[in-house]
Amino acid sequence: MVLEQLLGNLIQGLVLGAVYGMATMGLSLIFGVLRIVNVGHGAFIMVGAFIALWTFNALGLSPIVALPLAFVVGAALGLLFYYSVIQRLLQAPELATLLVTFSMGVLLQEVVKLIFGSEFRGYNWPVGKLDLGLTVLPYSKLLACVGSAAIALLLYFWVNRTRAGTAMRSVVDDRVGAQVCGVNVNRVFAMSFALGIALTVTSGVLLTMFIPVGINPYMGGGYTLKAFVIAVLGGLTSPYGAFFGGLVFGLIENGSYTLFALIPGVEPFALTRFLSFAMLLVILLIRPTGILKAK
Amino acid sequence: MNGSSKYAPLIPVAVVYAALFLVGRYTPGFWQLMATLLFYCALGQAFNIFLGLTGYVDFGYVAFLGIGTYGMALCVSRLADHPGLGWGVIALGFLLALVMATLLSMAVGAVALRLRGAYFAIATVGVNEGFRFLIEGLRIWNGSEGIIFTAQLNQVLGRDAASAVSTYWADVMVLVIAVAAAVVTLLYMRSRIGYALVALREDEDAAKVMGINVTKYKIIAFITSACFAGLIGASSWALKTPYVFPPEVFEIHYTIEAIIIVLLGGAGTLLGPIVGGLIYGISKYYLAVIIPGFQLLIFAPIIIVIIVVFPEGVVGMLKKKTRHTALGRYII
Amino acid sequence: MSLLRLENVTKRFGGLIAVSQVSLEIAPGQFVGIVGPNGSGKTTLFNVISGVFYPEEGRVLFEDRDITRLPPYKRAPLGIGRTFQIPRPFGSATVLENIAIGAMFGRRDRSSHVRHAFEVADGLIERLGLEEHRNKEAGGLQPVEKKMTEIGRALAMRPKLLLMDEVMAGMHPSDIDRMVAFIKRIAGEEGIAIVAMVEHIMRAVLGMAEKVIVLHQGAKLVDESTEIALSDPRVVEVYLGRPRRT
Repeated sequence: MVLEQLLGNLIQGLVLGAVYGMATMGLSLIFGVLRIVNVGHGAFIMVGAFIALWTFNALGLSPIVALPLAFVVGAALGLLFYYSVIQRLLQAPELATLLVTFSMGVLLQEVVKLIFGSEFRGYNWPVGKLDLGLTVLPYSKLLACVGSAAIALLLYFWVNRTRAGTAMRSVVDDRVGAQVCGVNVNRVFAMSFALGIALTVTSGVLLTMFIPVGINPYMGGGYTLKAFVIAVLGGLTSPYGAFFGGLVFGLIENGSYTLFALIPGVEPFALTRFLSFAMLLVILLIRPTGILKAK
Repeated sequence: MNGSSKYAPLIPVAVVYAALFLVGRYTPGFWQLMATLLFYCALGQAFNIFLGLTGYVDFGYVAFLGIGTYGMALCVSRLADHPGLGWGVIALGFLLALVMATLLSMAVGAVALRLRGAYFAIATVGVNEGFRFLIEGLRIWNGSEGIIFTAQLNQVLGRDAASAVSTYWADVMVLVIAVAAAVVTLLYMRSRIGYALVALREDEDAAKVMGINVTKYKIIAFITSACFAGLIGASSWALKTPYVFPPEVFEIHYTIEAIIIVLLGGAGTLLGPIVGGLIYGISKYYLAVIIPGFQLLIFAPIIIVIIVVFPEGVVGMLKKKTRHTALGRYII
Repeated sequence: MSLLRLENVTKRFGGLIAVSQVSLEIAPGQFVGIVGPNGSGKTTLFNVISGVFYPEEGRVLFEDRDITRLPPYKRAPLGIGRTFQIPRPFGSATVLENIAIGAMFGRRDRSSHVRHAFEVADGLIERLGLEEHRNKEAGGLQPVEKKMTEIGRALAMRPKLLLMDEVMAGMHPSDIDRMVAFIKRIAGEEGIAIVAMVEHIMRAVLGMAEKVIVLHQGAKLVDESTEIALSDPRVVEVYLGRPRRT
């Protein structure tokens, strides 16, 4: 009985993990190309969540329509932030970009709060479910999972098969060399940043397909931490590493919840969230410091 | 560098804090505002010891405020029944807050401070949340219910005294902490510690080759900063509102405010956090009349502008202008 | 007793061998030049000596003490100083402060205390001719002045061995002779051994050196007194290539 429950939860974890992973790809992409940590990451996910909320509640459209809309909004936001702020800080000390991305996150939170208020909201998308015996998967969750995987695949093809993607890879490998070959590094940066943000905002929509409740301006914070854990799991610079890191994380998160629920006298939900943080510290501890210290 | 000018920069500090105290004490109705300003200045000074002097940002900073609050709460609630300790309980509360903040910062630092820049920031992002969920998850110290110790505080101090503490003496204590933080900041800045920190802030690799054990100095700054935060939490939070509730005392909101205060005033300067605290505190107070709860909407873009255009903050710019003048001795 | 001795030092980065089985010896007070084209492993060698990298094989000995795995910040108090190719003084600190920091954390003596460190710095500023820049932020200086500040900072550490990385990079030819003579003089006065690393054969630098070590693709090619080293046909080949058979 417990085993069934565990397996059921693990399947849910895998499905959620795909979404988590996709949500982290933008973070890893931005860090890989620009060497910038987007500390405001969660806030962009939150923006995506609100886009899904709004398209559903105000426009009556299914969240699938929200996906391209979120992507465009994300790309626009990314370009806006890049050209107005990030570009000017490329030579500044690291602290500057950390604080600026953090502040961007705060700004987004406040703007969304201004427009939508701070109550918790949600939407209900009745599309039926898939019964797997061990567990029940609403089609919305399945769609979120498949959507995430699809986007990850699309990104792979874009990075490896298009000119723009190749330009991006060249900048990652050797900034100066790429310049010498005629690559407009600043444009690659702008594009990569915009793409990273677009992916992140889109993932917010997918996330609401999985968890369509609890949407509020402050929901981003918890996801920032999870994203960092996943990114570090997956190697921090590789978006594909992030995707698989997400799967692993989803499994651990859900598996641990089931196990914690068995222990009397503890609160499993809180403990699971503590686990995310503990994982981060453990990974940072056991990885040879050489790898993480390298720039 | 002669002896008399060594402590000259403390004069503006003393002036501002004295002014805040006197205005609050002797102008009817102003104590609350002054107390709030003192809190922000103290928070800024404490945070500046780490952010300003090392150039590293600890996104989980509020955890130290929270743990200090717990320190005081635990002392008061557990020792209230021991007769004869009286005010000693409060003293022990501060001591416990200090010890707990030191232990937590050592634990976090042991992992995080070995990491460089961005990786350190990543490691600290979840510290406040993580610690909160640990407390809730394992139901430590009453878990998510928190600790309410109003009754015990009354028991320890007597009703009237407890009320005086909550409305007056706790804030005076914050003033004392702020002054202490300023003194420590100056002492650090003028000593080997300060110069080592300047070096590692500028160029960590060159600093190492120059013979500076960068990890040691980062730890010193980190623990000092955490200890002051713990004392502030014990005083301004625990003693003013005698209950501690995990979601409240580990809220990232306070870290955001600390960042704003330090950057606005001038990171790494002595007077910066004071100026930042005053600007932020006063603005927030008056903005609350117009657009309550939205001061961050105004300040977030301000901070972005500061980072891009005026990274040295108000006092930083003032410092540059007055560097070779007589006034320059007081503004650092 | 040799001041610095490297025994069969090898440093690898993944599959790339940056430094291969290099052995060398520097005597106290000696002025040695290390020459080698880009990619010959010079900078890596310097990094191994100053502790930025630890070699996979071999040993580094300073005054007969094994420092192979000693962290960089512990090497400075022993007497190993370093300057960088692109000068990196601490930008927001003044010239005076920069040099004082060198004194504070270098070889242990009274100048470890802040006040004495500043006195030492004052003295060095005079010797280096930096008086007019004394209280200026190092970040705003001209490259030459930054270089002098960095040298001052390194000298304030009271090193026994000073590693100078591409010391003449970016300098005007007319300044080079003066600079080299200045360095040689101060080094002579303080008994500092200097290892000057240059990419190209520079008569100015190497003329002052007692011996020259030539590196090629990570390995030591030549280690002789200056005259012999520079007329070695292998050295010429490394820089100019083999003459074409016509």
